[in-house]
Amino acid sequence: MNYKFLNKVINEAAEVVGKTWPLYGFVTSNPLAGYEALPFFTALKKASPVFGGQTLPSGSVFRKAWQEKKIDEVILTNELNTVGIHSSIENTLQKMESVVFTDFPNDKHELDRLTVKWLSLFLDEGLAAWPMPFKDMGFYTSWRKLVVHDNDLMALARKNGHRLTTIPKTPEEALQEVLFDFEPEAFQEIFERHFAALPGWVGFIKYRVQNNSIWQQEYPISLLDYLAVRLWIASLIGAAIMSEEPTVVDFSDREIIKIQRCWLEAWEKSWQQRFFSEILKSSKRFDEFQTGPKNIIIGNNPNTKLKTGLAAQLVFCLDTRSERLRRILEQAGANTNVEDEPRYETFGSAGAFGIMMDYQHPETGMTYKSSPAVGASSYLVREKPVRDRQDAQKAYLKQGRKLSSYRYFLKRMKNILPSAFGYVEGSGLYYGAFLLLRLWSPNRAEHWLLKHKSGYEALYEPYITSAVPVISDRISSEVIANTKTGFSKTSAKIVLNPDLDEVSTLALYAHDFVGDKRAGSGGINQDKIEKEPSIIHSDNPLLQHHHHDVTSTIDDIGDDQKALIVKGTFDSCGWRSFAPLVVFTGHASKSANNPFASSLDCGACAGQPGKYNARTLAMLANNNNVRNILKKEYDIEIPKETFFIAAEHITSTDEVELFDQDIPASHLLLAAQLKKDLIWAQAQLTKERLNEPVNSSSIAKLKSNSWSESRPEWGLSGHKGYVIGPRSLTLKGEFSDCFMSSYDWAMDPDGNILKGIMQGPLVVVQWISNHYYFSTVDNQKFGGGSKIIHNITGKYGVVEGNGSDLKIGLPLQSVMKSDDEVYHDPIRISVLVQAPRRYIDQILKGDPKLKSLIEGGWILLFVMDPEQKNQIDAYKQMVQPL
Amino acid sequence: MNDQNLRPSLLYRMVAFFLWALFALNIGSIVWYYPEAPNWTYGDLFRISSLSLIIWATVCFFSAVVINFAGKYLIGFKYYKRFVLLALGFTGSVSLLVFANHVLIILVAWLGMGFFMSRLIGIDRRWGEAREASRYCQKHFLAGTLFLAIGLLMLSFELNQFTVTGIISSVGDIPYWLLLISALCIIIAAAIQSAMFPFHRWLLSAMTSPTPASALMHAGFVNGAGILLTLLAPLFFKSDTMTLLFFIGGITAIVAQFAKLIQVNIKQKLGCSTTAQMAFMIMQCGLGFFNAAVVHLILHGCYKAYLFLSSGEEIEHLSPKKPQRPSRTKWQTAFVFALGILGALFFAWITGKGLHLDGGIFLTLIVAITVGQAMENIIKRDEFSILKKLIIAPIFFLLSIGLYALMYNGTTIFMHDLPMIDYPESLSVLQIVFGVIFLIGFFIMKLGIYESFPWLYVKLINDSQPYKKTLLRYKKNIK
Repeated sequence: MNYKFLNKVINEAAEVVGKTWPLYGFVTSNPLAGYEALPFFTALKKASPVFGGQTLPSGSVFRKAWQEKKIDEVILTNELNTVGIHSSIENTLQKMESVVFTDFPNDKHELDRLTVKWLSLFLDEGLAAWPMPFKDMGFYTSWRKLVVHDNDLMALARKNGHRLTTIPKTPEEALQEVLFDFEPEAFQEIFERHFAALPGWVGFIKYRVQNNSIWQQEYPISLLDYLAVRLWIASLIGAAIMSEEPTVVDFSDREIIKIQRCWLEAWEKSWQQRFFSEILKSSKRFDEFQTGPKNIIIGNNPNTKLKTGLAAQLVFCLDTRSERLRRILEQAGANTNVEDEPRYETFGSAGAFGIMMDYQHPETGMTYKSSPAVGASSYLVREKPVRDRQDAQKAYLKQGRKLSSYRYFLKRMKNILPSAFGYVEGSGLYYGAFLLLRLWSPNRAEHWLLKHKSGYEALYEPYITSAVPVISDRISSEVIANTKTGFSKTSAKIVLNPDLDEVSTLALYAHDFVGDKRAGSGGINQDKIEKEPSIIHSDNPLLQHHHHDVTSTIDDIGDDQKALIVKGTFDSCGWRSFAPLVVFTGHASKSANNPFASSLDCGACAGQPGKYNARTLAMLANNNNVRNILKKEYDIEIPKETFFIAAEHITSTDEVELFDQDIPASHLLLAAQLKKDLIWAQAQLTKERLNEPVNSSSIAKLKSNSWSESRPEWGLSGHKGYVIGPRSLTLKGEFSDCFMSSYDWAMDPDGNILKGIMQGPLVVVQWISNHYYFSTVDNQKFGGGSKIIHNITGKYGVVEGNGSDLKIGLPLQSVMKSDDEVYHDPIRISVLVQAPRRYIDQILKGDPKLKSLIEGGWILLFVMDPEQKNQIDAYKQMVQPL
Repeated sequence: MNDQNLRPSLLYRMVAFFLWALFALNIGSIVWYYPEAPNWTYGDLFRISSLSLIIWATVCFFSAVVINFAGKYLIGFKYYKRFVLLALGFTGSVSLLVFANHVLIILVAWLGMGFFMSRLIGIDRRWGEAREASRYCQKHFLAGTLFLAIGLLMLSFELNQFTVTGIISSVGDIPYWLLLISALCIIIAAAIQSAMFPFHRWLLSAMTSPTPASALMHAGFVNGAGILLTLLAPLFFKSDTMTLLFFIGGITAIVAQFAKLIQVNIKQKLGCSTTAQMAFMIMQCGLGFFNAAVVHLILHGCYKAYLFLSSGEEIEHLSPKKPQRPSRTKWQTAFVFALGILGALFFAWITGKGLHLDGGIFLTLIVAITVGQAMENIIKRDEFSILKKLIIAPIFFLLSIGLYALMYNGTTIFMHDLPMIDYPESLSVLQIVFGVIFLIGFFIMKLGIYESFPWLYVKLINDSQPYKKTLLRYKKNIK
């Protein structure tokens, strides 16, 4: 069999399932990402039988929305009539509710069970004290060496009249033998079915291969291995390689789907109607409120100076949870300032502030992706010790080693014979006491957990280098099945291949529009890779020993490029005048005993805190060389008085921590005032968010520390819209269900800034929104299922109960109020852009992929055209047959 | 949109309050009576002994913890209310078990424990695998009840005595063969309840229950064996089945502890650990230390309840590279040995275990190894100061032994009303053999020899798989 052909078929077949990210770096991706080339409803139709799940909201969800008056009667009737349904609304509801889901015996039960048994043993990332033997030889080989001892499998084979013969040495040969009777044309369908049988596990293999995780480098697995093992077992136990019937029969009734679609679209349109009227009201109020243009300085004015009256500007990462904080902070100034002028101005930036970077943690030495997973990283940010705080830094690292020693001690005592028995008797009372402490006083218990009590931000400063990105999603299908060659090199080669220019479009959205010469090569300097092989192996934990002498080996990118990064942020925020204090506010969440904790962090950005990016940006913007270049080359003058700092918004408690250790004395008062205002804002914010009239701040804190809290916060649940436009559109209204990107079309004469936003943040928002949509419409299939029966597997994922498919999405407790009632409204994202229509036409002309997402209805795009009196128009979608 | 910051329902808060009050009442009674045990009977039906108070306090404690936790954790669960009622039913059954004197009431209580626990395992009736698991476990529990019924009723009909106290006091009048069969049946019932090999699979298939129910199962339900064996202690002496108990416990303890190390799912890992710990408890019974077994079940309950409730903390991004562990110097080794011996002497001195040539030596040996092992893991780490290594850690370890001994001695004194619960078996060859096997196991683990036996790995994996119908058995689709 042709190896190349086989790989091609495997890669194409693998598109039927999504990618499963590990829970320590949760990514809210579209589970139907493989279907994005199709229009939305066509994709649903195709994916529904593959997954055997619901892809449209159920009758009871619509009924609830109807009762809560979320769906407008006129719009709904109109929708129904248009497609020729004239029965009553109640009647359509009843029809939808007549669809009942029930359990059917899984005809692949034994095959699934045996596959999962071996997969979970191999994929383990350190939960088992003793790893599977032969693991370093790769999945297929280690399985082959062990399975000869598997009496369970032998018994099933005997039942089927088979005996275990020699298993071929390579997975290709194994597949060849099993598929001997099949035509090559049938392969793709066979593979698709066997991938779709366990989408979660297969998705995780895809993750390991495409991202070439550190575990993958040590213990390689490929989709080819998976197929070889699964099909070999299947042929041995007599499970169908290709059953007569498709895996899941599509019982769904076209008539009911038609009704569901009408209801969905009516719901979306009803919300849009309200949304637009809110926007218009808000911007009208804003116009009335404005006495003069003194606070908005529009245009590329080289004379921009310090903005008068403002104490600070706060820039937030792309996230719905910042809206309340922004609104309340803006009021903070307005309410207390004698001149009744706002003290604070806020901006919404791109996700992760638009820096496509990886981050190397100074303590663990491990490298994390710290930017949206839709694109490859261009930079690697590391930390160097601040010169005069080396003692504190050493103490911090020592403390970390101590903590890890304690953890190791506990693990060791639990595991080893016969100490495990003595240990339980000696420590039982301590466990009992700590149990009560966690139950009754979570905040105090938190203090005793084996974690660092404070961050290291004051002890280190970030520095930025260019990096070979972890291979991007869009190109990685090339190497899905390939684990045999030296992987790091392979991926680097592919990234560098000038033919694959699509790599760059997403990777460099923060700055490619200013003409990065190396855009075609993904921003990678080939010489550097050859000279500095360690960059490629940035995951190498050995690097942690380097940070002592790191100053001598700093391999910075040029100041020009740094200036471009900073300019990118200013541009995309539509922002040119500066307050004395500018705060880049990243966000993260804190919750206890929560396997999905990272899904509440900077969600689309690989489940990492946003502070890494915020600190990097503040560091760059304070750099004098960068400021000089910005002034000389781009007419952006940052006043001497302006100082940049980073901060972190903890979204579960709404605390904001300022990383202000290096702040100059002149700014101390400002920072002190800001801190005071932030504490005040926290009280207001939690009161509104939690609906708690008193003590809301401490209730929020308790929730974040409580180990029995299954809903520490709602994350991005409830989001429905995305506003790309100036803050003036939204300032005088409440838009806590919207993402907001500060964008001013007047500052963007050629539409390049908008292009950056639409190709970056908008694509990310599409992923987030569809992740939430599918997790809500079928939490079992596309979400994580209920937390209460989760069983953590291998340190990276969860299964249900005794074992199941690996869960792929957000848990029930993140999107639903109860088992039966949704919290997140499952509708598609509506995006409002304030920009001339011609900008958008031009951008989409150059990006057919984005265009098909919009025309296909994965994103509902609306344009508020300032050249047409700000009239709001829907961007046309293609007609999708029912 | 505003979050609804939901709070536990009134029912949960009331039940939790009720259980905490009962817990306080029981602790109060223990303190009040101490060191004498209460001796209250109600005809042939009920009695209150030291064990009743101890177990009531224990089960109220764990139930209260679980209800407190679940009240918040399960908010929004379709069977929220059902959960608290079932948990309460289970708590009542355990309480009845140690309250009963009449054999039939004991059987009802035993049946009730299994009934409520299997309902908790299958509480989510919408879920096919949970229904299968519930059925599978219920079958085990019914079999356990059946064996218990045979064992107890044989004795009852022989003696025409239907109270436990009555049976125990005239155990000497029963023919040996009948005594033996009866003891074997009761041991089987206990082994099923505590998930001893080869009846361990139900415990590893019971993860369909919500996490708090698992905590209750592993801190409460499995302890049934310890309670049963303690209640009927003289029966095992007279039927010469103590060695059998020691043997069952010993084999299971080693196998399950090994199986634990290769599990890749946290709950299965904890399940194997529970089986190992229960096996150790049964070993303690087999050595004649029923009092130690009761203490072990309480302490293990605290330990395992904590680990289950916090089992959501296992997500972690580890590095596949094993860090280099520092090696020991000669002086450190000497210190480790010295402290191990010191710990053992201290333990022997305050508990009296290990001073004579009996099973107590075995338990003392375990203390010595545990202290040595603990010390070893501290002393070779550079991060810890000399003060911590040489003074604080040893004092802390001895303090922990002291705390344990305090509890052990207290329990022993309080439980003197029960016959033959602290009656060490004299040292036998089998015990010595097991002692050696334990040591060999210890070294096999330390040196990682297991990797040379792939068949052993696969065997252990297969033996610790959940029952096949309880996973990946069903698919959801439109009816």
